[in-house]
Parts: sequence; structure tokens; C-alpha cells
Amino acid sequence: MRSWLARGFFLATAISAVAVFAVLLIATGTIVVRGLPAIDRTFLFTATVGSGEGGVLYQLVGTLILIGTALAVSLPLAIGLALAATVYLPRPRLRRSALALLYTANGIPSVLVGIAGFLVFSHWLGWGKSWLAGGLLLALMILPAESVALIERIESLPRRYLDAAYGLGLNRSQVARAVVLRQSWNGLFSGALLGLARAAGETAPILFAAAVFSGATVPRGIRESPVLALPYHVFVLAQDSFAAGGERHLWGAALVLLCLVATLSLVALPSRLRAHEESRHG
Amino acid sequence: MVDPAKAAASPSALEARGFGVGNGARDLIRGVDLKVESRSVLCLVGPSGAGKTTLLRGLNRLIDLAPDLHRIGEVLLHGRSIYGRGVDGDSVRRRIGILFQQPVVFPGSVADNVLFGLRHGGLARRRELPERLERAIREAALWEEVKDRLAEPAASLSVGQQQRLCLARALAVEPEVLLLDEPTSALDPRSTEAIEERIRALRETRAIVLVTHDIRQAERTADVLACIDRREGAGTVIECGACRDLLSRPQSLELARFLDSSLAGDPRPLRFPAETATADLLAVVET
Amino acid sequence: MSSVTVERIRRGRIDSLRYVSFALSAVAAAAFLGLVVLFAVEALPFARRAGWGALFAERWSYRTEEFGALPMIYGSLAVSSVALAIAGPIGLGAAVFLAEVLPRRARIAGKVGIELLAGIPSVVYGLLGVLLLRDWMLRPLARWDPLSGDTLATGGVLLAVMIVPTVASLADDALAAVPRSQRWAARALGIGRAGAILRVVVPQALPGLFSALLLGLGRALGETVAVFLVIGRQDNQWPERLLSVAPLAAAGQTVTSKLGGSETFVAYGAPVHWGALLALGLLLLAVVAAISFTGSWLALRRVPRA
Repeated sequence: MRSWLARGFFLATAISAVAVFAVLLIATGTIVVRGLPAIDRTFLFTATVGSGEGGVLYQLVGTLILIGTALAVSLPLAIGLALAATVYLPRPRLRRSALALLYTANGIPSVLVGIAGFLVFSHWLGWGKSWLAGGLLLALMILPAESVALIERIESLPRRYLDAAYGLGLNRSQVARAVVLRQSWNGLFSGALLGLARAAGETAPILFAAAVFSGATVPRGIRESPVLALPYHVFVLAQDSFAAGGERHLWGAALVLLCLVATLSLVALPSRLRAHEESRHG
Repeated sequence: MVDPAKAAASPSALEARGFGVGNGARDLIRGVDLKVESRSVLCLVGPSGAGKTTLLRGLNRLIDLAPDLHRIGEVLLHGRSIYGRGVDGDSVRRRIGILFQQPVVFPGSVADNVLFGLRHGGLARRRELPERLERAIREAALWEEVKDRLAEPAASLSVGQQQRLCLARALAVEPEVLLLDEPTSALDPRSTEAIEERIRALRETRAIVLVTHDIRQAERTADVLACIDRREGAGTVIECGACRDLLSRPQSLELARFLDSSLAGDPRPLRFPAETATADLLAVVET
Repeated sequence: MSSVTVERIRRGRIDSLRYVSFALSAVAAAAFLGLVVLFAVEALPFARRAGWGALFAERWSYRTEEFGALPMIYGSLAVSSVALAIAGPIGLGAAVFLAEVLPRRARIAGKVGIELLAGIPSVVYGLLGVLLLRDWMLRPLARWDPLSGDTLATGGVLLAVMIVPTVASLADDALAAVPRSQRWAARALGIGRAGAILRVVVPQALPGLFSALLLGLGRALGETVAVFLVIGRQDNQWPERLLSVAPLAAAGQTVTSKLGGSETFVAYGAPVHWGALLALGLLLLAVVAAISFTGSWLALRRVPRA
């Protein structure tokens, strides 16, 4: 290959890479630069005043409630799915299709989940807007990714542990308890954190059946107990983008959301990267 | 009339001078001095981990691909440094070919594989290709077996055939020197024999460096033998000389030890044309 | 539970973990299946009344019971195509750089950066789109004299930014899955670095690279919030000429922006209207699911170790 052609090729790839990271920088940089002025000690601990002033206390509370519920509901389901797929019913020929199915479920457009929730929870169950509906819907959204993370972690366990346990005469459940679950905390941990990070940022699932813009603090009961939520808050304010003076608050809210998601993702990163590299060079 | 002075000074096909490779933490090989003459086979023997593969890959600048490795010293191809400023590593590798331990076959047909280096290196014109293809495959003693299967996937060949396919591929770009890294250690005895026979044939036209852990293979194929082992933590040339000399009268402890362990349980004496040197060898080893 | 049962569980004769796992899996599977069935069932009144084909008309006006969704389908496709046209080459190029050029430490940093980018919530991208991108787009689009920065093109560019980490990360995985021995074998023949990448690595990574693009497309088609905020949400923008640039410089509507809007709230209670919206959702679900499944399936190839 002519050397100038080769050089052009590498230049093009370098430019692409730079472009991608420039976007990262611009996106996060803008949020940080514009949002930081809004953050003071009271921003996180004051409620919103009017529409677009004050702090984001109850939005933060609401988001935490939503993602906490989502985690509590999705994690057992993910463990069940993972164990069923790896310990109880592993069928090598179906593995690829099963995983592809999970990835597909992961890619369900979030608005469809929101509409389903609107139908089932708001109307059929008569809950109106409810925090629990939001938590359940978010759980549905993050369940596939958590399952995949767990399955991959379990599959990467050294076979010798399992062989040793089976060789001692343990049945599948005993092996699952003694070896599989014990050794997969890592995958569980990182899968959970990533699920939380994703759930924290989702707007569409909670749009119809769980979140309101104002008038809620801490929910009581299930029916007609909506919550405020950071992503929904930003979403509504962004539409009304000509609210004078409200911009600072808006950027601040966005920054808080970004920090929450980033923190959750970053904590999960080391174990995720390790598992990734292990599976690649294993 | 050959000028005696020129003849005496004519450079070896491949020469290493004070060659060393390190990985930042330690030296892998150090102070290697070797000469490979045209139309001869230099065999590198030694225990595993001594650095033979690293040395081999240093001889054709394949270590350029490993970013954590750095080298010192020189390697000269016909008297010219291959690591010199402005020397293109790719063209070095065209002139110094290499065969790996495991056959690495590209997806594609037999013909695609053999012609790969020619096609994508832009080294031959379209109409020359069929002729170069046949020539290379014949040189690898593979023609009779694949002449009707040239369009079939290369992966459908047996391992022994695949290795010869890789040999044909390497030969197709017509290198002056051929480096072979334990080319038969993954093969069955019959394929091994076929490759060794090829090595002896190729010796007539090229310089060959063969790494092997099989002392019998060295005995069968080598003209010059070099023993590589670790001294002070880095691999280096312990002994180098005519094959039969070294095997019958090893001068170094390392070589003797290597011969001892290689021949353990295999009491057949090493045989050389018109020479049996068992007694001498065992005497040295017993010391 | 009776004491006998408890005793049986304790002695390991009833395998509680097994049953619990199966039960939980069944719940999860039922939830997802239920979602699909839900959409199908709710769309029936519309299908019975107007037929599925009614979705493929040019005019959406629910008051007159017209449910032609072609403009929205066009909107979704247009926006996603723009996104893929931008994010595809850039994502693939960045992936090649990451997988083939960068040394190991930098590569890990790059991978981390991409994962972080992928984790930025869509509403944040939407916000950046509203407050920054909209104005930035006015100048390049000036030739077509758009009414405001809310255009399909804006949505496309914003989506491109959002899917580029997906494309790059998956493409990087595909390239890295090609065994290192292949690269060494190619270089050993004297083929240069770019040649080895383009003639050996990329051809073998092709299915994975294709799936990276597919999955990026799937994500683009399903994105709601960010698109909602910047495309203007104008119904019935059916272009005169399909493959021209002009309609991209105007406001429009995508399937997701329609579904995520207030009309969905309003429609409940009117079975045909509601059915039409859910039929649209079902269409979206089917298309995205097909694309995602194909892409994932391709990406899950087990590369034979050479």
C-alpha cells in the first residue's frame, strides 16, 4: 500500500477518535461549566421553588426512590435468570440466541415501556401516577443488562471450581450456592451499579405513570403517589427553554443528574473492565 | 577470476552483532553474536524460555510489532543493518521470511493464502501470479496434494499441510533468508519428515535459521549449531560451531546439560556421516 | 408453610433455589412477553376498524380518524439515517484507532471514555441539543431557510452524537476479537501496518462491524427524549421528494416523538385512536427488535481460535 495512502488512513482514524472524545469533552464540559454556578451547599437540599428556581432536593429523592426500587425488584429476577441460564438449563446451542434475545430486550424503546406502564399501572390497576409503577418499569428496563452481566461473569468462572464441586457429589443447587453465587459477587455488583446508572437517567418509562413536575415530595402509599425525578425535571424545563433566569437552575439539575450517573458508572468500571479483558484474553 | 580479498570479506547472509532485546523490566536476550552463511542451516537449540523465539523475531524486525520491546546491537543482512535509520521494516520482512510454530492460515482459499504476500504487497504482476503460485507450492512439496484444491478453503487442509502452506506462502515472496520457529513441534512424524526434507532442499538456495528443541532434528538438518541459554538472566549464545563438532564435543556445561536431558531415555547414539562419537559425548556429560 | 415442608427444604430434599430461580425467570419472561402481547391486543380495535394498512397513509389527523403514519415513519428513518451516516464512519474509524493504533494503556483509557459517553442520559443530550445544537444548526441549514433550529437534521446530528459510542465500542470489540496471530502472520510477509489492518483484520471482523452499525441504528430508531426535544414535532410533514435534503431542514415528527408526546395521554379512552398509537408502537417494537436481534446475533459469533 502506498505510504501516503497508509498515512491518510491512519490520519482519518485518528481524526475520528479525536472527534469522539471532543464530543465527550464538549458535552460534559458544557454541563459542568454551566451547571457549576448553580451548585452550592443548598442546591441539593432545597426544594424547587416555582418552576425553575431553587434546588432539586425532591427530584433527587424521587430518583433515588425510583432506582432503589428498580434495583430491589430487578436484581432477584436477574439472578434467577442467570442461574437458570447457566446452572440449570445451559444449552450450548441456544446460548447465542438466548443472549441475543436478552440484548434485544435491552434495546426495547423506552417509550414503549412507558406506554405499557401507563396502561397497566395508571389505568388497569388504577394507580394513577405512582412511584412504584416507575420503579417496576425501570426494573424491566435494566433487567436484561443485569442478567447479561451476571451470566458473563458466571461463564468466566474457572471450570475447575465447578468440576471440583460436582465431583464431590453436590447437586446443581448446592454448587450454585457454594460456588457460583459466592464467586460472582463481582458481576452482581457491577451489573447492579450499571443498572442503577441507567435507571437514573431514563425519562420515557416514568413519563406517563410515575413522575410529575411539581407538587410531590415523598410519596405515601402506592396509588396516586407520584414522585419528582431528575431526568423528568430536566426534560420538562428543557421544553420550556425560554424561561428567563431558569437556565442556571436547569443546568445545575442536569449537572447533578450527570454526576449521579457518572459516579455510579465509574464505581462499576474497574470490575467491568477486568471482566472484559479477562474474557478477551482468557 | 574471484578476487580473494573480496571473497574473504563478503558478508554473511545474516549476521547479529551484540544483539539484545529487552522489555523495559529486564533483558530477554543479550550480547548475541551469530553468523548465518548463504546456503547453510543454522540451528538454534536450547531449553525453553531461553529466548530463542525472541531472538528469531529480532532477526527480521518482527519485534517492532511489540511496543514494549526495545533492541540494542545490530543485525546485518548482507552487510547492511536492518535496524538502520530509514530502513523500512516491511521490506526487511519481505527479504527475511518466517514460519511460526502453529500454522496461521488466513481465511480464504489455498491459492489466496499462498499469493497473499505477493498480492497485497504489490510484488508481482497479475499474469505472473499463477506461475509464482505453482513454484512456491512446489518448493514447499505441497503441489501434488493441493493442485486440484487450489480454490478450496485453506482451513480444510490437515495441520501438516497447513504448515507447508505457510511455508509456500513465505517462499512466494522469495526471501533470501528463512527463519523457522520450531516448525514441526505441532506436527506428526510424517509431516515433520516432509518439512525437514524441504529444509534440506531449500538450503541449496537460501540461508536458513531453524529453532528447535529436538536435538535429533538439529542433527538431521543443521550445518552450524548454536546453543542458546540464559546467563545472568538473559539469553545469549553459549556455544556456536559446526554441528557435528558441538554435538560430539560440547564445550559448555549448558550444552552438555541440554544434550543430556534431550537424550535422556533415548540411548541411540548421535550419528554423523562416518562418525560415531558416543563415548566422547558421554564422557563429557558425566563430568 | 407446614413444618414438614420446612424440614424437607432444610434437608435439601426440596430444591428451593432451583424452583425460585425458575419462578423468577418465568416472571421476567412473562413481563416481556406481556409487553408484546399488550401492544398487539390493544392495537386490535384499530386494526379491526381501519386495518393495519391505514397506518401507511400520508396524513395523521386523529380528529378525522385519519391515522396515516408515513410522515412519522419517514421522520424516524430520516433521522436515523442521518445519524448513522455520521456516526458510522466516525465510530468505525475511532474503533480502528482504538483497537489497532493505541498502545495498551491509552486503549483502556479510550474504552473508559467511550463507556462514559454511552452512559450520558438521553435527556442531557436533549438539553444540549435544545440549548446549543439548535442554534448551531441554523447556519449550515440557512440555504433551506428553516423556521427554527428544530429540524429533522438537528435530530439526526444529535442522534449521531448519541450512537457513536455504541458503534465505536462494538466495532472495537469486533476488531479485537481477530486473533493477534493473524496480524503477525500478515506483517511477517512484509505487508505494512495499514495493509495488515485493511486486508486481514477488517475482513475478518466484518460481521461484528456490521452488527455495530445495526445496533447503532436500532438505538437511533428507539430514542425518544432527545429527538423529542429538537425536531419540532410537526405532524404531516410528508416530503414532496423523498431523497432530497430540503425536508431534513424542516421540522418533523418521528414515531418515538409522537408516542412520547401528550397525544398519548389524550388518546386513552378512544379505542381506535389509542389502538392506532399502539399499532404504531407495535411497528416500532417489531422493527427495533428485528434489528437488535440480528445485530446481537452477529456480534455473538464465537471466533475460532487460530
